[in-house]
Amino acid sequence: MIATLFRVVGRGHRGLLWRFLVSTAVYALSEGAAFGLLVPLLTALLGGRTGTAAWWLMPLAAAVVVGWVAHYDMGISALRLSSAWRRSLYGRIGAHVVRLPLGWFDGARTGRVERLFGHGLDTAVQTVTLTQTLINAVVTPAVIGVFLVVLDWRIALAVLVTVPVVLLVFAYARRVTDRTEAASDAAAAEAGTRLVEFAAAQPVLRAIGRGRGASRPLDDALDARHREARREVVGALPGLQLGRLAIQLAFTAVLVVGLLLATGSDITPARMIALLVLGIHFLQPFATLAGVAGGLRVCRAAIERIDAVLRTPVLPEPVRPRPLGPPAIDLDDVRFGYDGVPLLDGLTLHVPAGSTTALVGPSGAGKTTVTKLVARFFDTDAGTVRVGGADVRDVASADLLDAVALVFQDVYLFDGTIEDNIRMGRPGATPAAVRDAARRARVDLVAERLPDGLAGRVGDGGRLLSGGERQRVAIARALLKDAPIVLLDEATSALDAENEAAVHAALAELRQGRTLLVIAHRLRTVMRADQIAVLDGGRIAELGTHAELLAADGRYAALWRSQQRARGWRLTNDAGRPAGR
Amino acid sequence: MTATAAEDLAELRRPVRGRVTVAAGAQVLATALGVVPLVAVVELGRRLLGGQTSGLWAIAWLAVGAFAARLVLYTLAGGISHLADADLARTLRRRLVRALAELPLGWFAGGVAARVKTTVEDDVAALHHAVAHAPGDMGAAIAGPVVAGAYLLYVDWRLALLTGAAIGAAQATRMRMVRRSAEPAGRIAAARAELSASAIELVRGIAVVKAFGGTRAAERPDATDERPDAPPERPDAPPERADAPPERADAAAERVGAAPARFAAAAERYADVNDEAQRIFIRQRSLARATVAPATILLLVTGAGTWFAALGWTRPLDVVAFLLLGLGLFEQITPIYTARDQRRRARDAAHRISELLREPPEATAAHPVALPAPAGRALPLELDDVRFGYAGGHEVLHGISAELAPGTVTALVGPSGAGKSTLGLLLARFSDPTGGAIRLGGVDVRDVDRAELYRHIGFLFQDVVLLRQSVRDNIALADPDAGDARVEEVAAAAAIDARIRDLPRGYATVLGEEAELSGGEAQRVSIARTLLADTPILVLDEATAFADPESEAAVQDALAALAGGRTLLVIAHRLPTIAHADQILVLDEGRVAERGRHDDLLAAGGLYARLWHAQQEAAA
Repeated sequence: MIATLFRVVGRGHRGLLWRFLVSTAVYALSEGAAFGLLVPLLTALLGGRTGTAAWWLMPLAAAVVVGWVAHYDMGISALRLSSAWRRSLYGRIGAHVVRLPLGWFDGARTGRVERLFGHGLDTAVQTVTLTQTLINAVVTPAVIGVFLVVLDWRIALAVLVTVPVVLLVFAYARRVTDRTEAASDAAAAEAGTRLVEFAAAQPVLRAIGRGRGASRPLDDALDARHREARREVVGALPGLQLGRLAIQLAFTAVLVVGLLLATGSDITPARMIALLVLGIHFLQPFATLAGVAGGLRVCRAAIERIDAVLRTPVLPEPVRPRPLGPPAIDLDDVRFGYDGVPLLDGLTLHVPAGSTTALVGPSGAGKTTVTKLVARFFDTDAGTVRVGGADVRDVASADLLDAVALVFQDVYLFDGTIEDNIRMGRPGATPAAVRDAARRARVDLVAERLPDGLAGRVGDGGRLLSGGERQRVAIARALLKDAPIVLLDEATSALDAENEAAVHAALAELRQGRTLLVIAHRLRTVMRADQIAVLDGGRIAELGTHAELLAADGRYAALWRSQQRARGWRLTNDAGRPAGR
Repeated sequence: MTATAAEDLAELRRPVRGRVTVAAGAQVLATALGVVPLVAVVELGRRLLGGQTSGLWAIAWLAVGAFAARLVLYTLAGGISHLADADLARTLRRRLVRALAELPLGWFAGGVAARVKTTVEDDVAALHHAVAHAPGDMGAAIAGPVVAGAYLLYVDWRLALLTGAAIGAAQATRMRMVRRSAEPAGRIAAARAELSASAIELVRGIAVVKAFGGTRAAERPDATDERPDAPPERPDAPPERADAPPERADAAAERVGAAPARFAAAAERYADVNDEAQRIFIRQRSLARATVAPATILLLVTGAGTWFAALGWTRPLDVVAFLLLGLGLFEQITPIYTARDQRRRARDAAHRISELLREPPEATAAHPVALPAPAGRALPLELDDVRFGYAGGHEVLHGISAELAPGTVTALVGPSGAGKSTLGLLLARFSDPTGGAIRLGGVDVRDVDRAELYRHIGFLFQDVVLLRQSVRDNIALADPDAGDARVEEVAAAAAIDARIRDLPRGYATVLGEEAELSGGEAQRVSIARTLLADTPILVLDEATAFADPESEAAVQDALAALAGGRTLLVIAHRLPTIAHADQILVLDEGRVAERGRHDDLLAAGGLYARLWHAQQEAAA
């Protein structure tokens, strides 16, 4: 535990940690010493020698005062240590997270990191308090144990043999509880997801389903959760009671041995009673120990989760970064996959500087992945990605991201004004430049709708704006950034007519004089691209202009015809089938 | 009148009150029995010092017996209370789920899943402490010190008062701290909320953060001094790159400032308020601790005991009683304080649970009127001056009237916000009109049993909901008795049969576990489900046809199969799609601005014509 603390608090706070540990240990030692001094004192007192007893009060008082001072210092250093550690953790995680490859942030991990920043970190920092309790619960009995051994080995033996027994019982109880707890947690998690499903599916369950909104899987999951909860209770009881039983047996052993010695040997009753009191106090911290152990496990789990994030490797930075040339993009025999499942399999594509290239292809073909490799959210498994003539791995990531503007599908806006969000493109931009970008991306039309115009807030994640409006803000951001390369993922969902027109106009603005790599879902929007690359099976299956690809009559032509047909679709009910069964 | 949180908690706990009380009683008794072995040690000492050797073992065995009884009582208390808690949790979750299944569908609009989960799962779980622990723990925290204190008073009132004074002083300090801790608690909560919001923003917006600054401070290692003569190329040579040099990473890490600005500020603030809250108590806490630390009480009772013994006020052995029973007195009261947060959380949770249980259920017809035709036959649907406004809000539909004759196609068009979707939701009875009526075959839908209504009107919602069940069960939701052949038939009609057969276990494949479907595929499964429901009237959103460009054509084929032969009400966004409709209702600000067929409306040159031309331009 203490080793973990040393590892995680960071080098800067080692001094503080030492001070904390020393004062905690001194406090625990002083408590142990006070108990130890009790034996001669009590022996004298019970033996009727009050004068001698009074003398023993002096070292006892000294131990108590030392304890007070140590406790005060322990409180201060624990506070400083927690505070420093907390700050350092926030700093480290914050700085690390922004340097992680973007591929790391899938939905599940995002949620986990968010929790980590909240309760996870508070829990981790509680380690300090718990360590304090732990040291007390170990060191004080240890000191008492030493006194016992010195004062009377027989009582000491009776007390000390119980220690391994108690600890073993604790460990066993823990294992039993862990098992039932895991089953119970799993049942609870299942019930939770069924519940979310149940709520989300209410319209379907009631208006289409025939079960009056009820959900059989949810009922089953709730029953299973109840069953596991009961099983956990029953399973945990023996464990909990065994711990108690072990401590009580130890107490009994001390009592019996003490009694046997007192009735059958040389030891005076006064001394015997004093030793008995000491033995009983030796046992008392064990109950605390069980609680602390549980708490520490929770803390350790939190620390491990934090550690796992901090140990996730960031993308390596070049030691000697190369400058970027003219903004061309080259992918050369690129291979890449997620979790070992290959997705791109020898993809080669040249995007000349100043041109527009459209990426099309079936969903899951890896179109988005190509743009993410260009922006170096991941590194390739094999092959190279060059931007401006330089391997992206040899370019300082700040330089690369300066050269590239990203407009992705699920645009995330920060809770601030529209203006703030556009300004992220170039933090030093003048208000006039921001307004100009807003106008060119047709964001001014969005602003008109809002009471505060560009100064209107967009809400968390931009939820006060529609999807099309959010994308226009992202385009404005890219326009303001004025990066030579734009990576654009067109929205898949149907935009309403107004937004569609505005987005197209904004994209036309963005195209001026830049290198554009566009992921297109609707082919109509990329007809005028300089080249269209059809991605299929992890490679470029077809490459050419719209006219060339139509003439080739391959996949692109088929996709085009299908989308043209879809566009001309009319919804009618005259399929000639009579209603009813 | 609204119930207080405490009343809510008491009310929710009622079903297990008896068991909880019995368990608490057992725990209190067990705590009281805990005094017996310690008293036994004192009495043994008394006999030994008095030179008495008889009856010693009887006392020892009494102590052991008390232990055994205590163990039994603890087991009973823990078992009874925790099983009661588990039972109560299930009872409450079932009640909540039943209540949810009866809330108006409108209640579920706008992402309540998180709230449902919080209440049914987390809030019910938060009652655990109040049910399984609080009564017993509180009883024990009072009974323990009272029994021990009474014994000590009996043994020696002077020493008892002295010990009591020390504990009382520490207790007073503690109560003062508790009162004062309420004040920074608000600041901590606010700082924590901001921290968590900024963390969410940081993580969710990470792509933006990366692409638009925020990383530069931490990320640009100043590497000019390292190996200036190294050859610039050779991209694969490992020594050329390094994870940012460790010393530098550490240095950056020590400042929260290396993280993006809002997060860094929030983290600093949170750390500051935490420190501040702790710092103001550090002296008091040390003082309180110093007063009641075991060593202090030990010094107090031995010191006073020695003095009193010298004065002849106290028998020396009485000091032993205080050493065994007095040292832990303060700690026994502590659970009352450490459990305060849990108690408050349980009360708040109980309040939220009760609020949800108190939500008014959806309106049901007291005396359902039967529809004049069996489910298979189409009935005319009539909108008669339908008005709707949200509770406390302004009216959004101001009298919509229309007739949907069997077998016709009606389209609802209009600018966004005109009320198209609201009208669709009224038909599905997410809410009921606040004025006018919707009639099916001449019967007000509010007077129709919902199950019967839904056998006549089907819906294809734009948000596809598939359950984590087999594909078959997902489709058969509309008709659990449908045979496999029928399910496969509708799947084939919805152009999804082949895809389903390709899944790992075909129709038995559990969606979301064994396979994920693309947007367009999920849509077709939901179309198959609606096909199976086979209602003569269908309300659908036209955007469904264009939601997934990769499989638009397939979805459209499925929709065509679904629409065949039914009375349709189409909520339309793209006008060309519904150009062939029998009637088009053009909504504007909650009113029917125009109605008619496409050609007539175009010729009329009104709102519809304007919308049409705007869309044609956008498409060009």
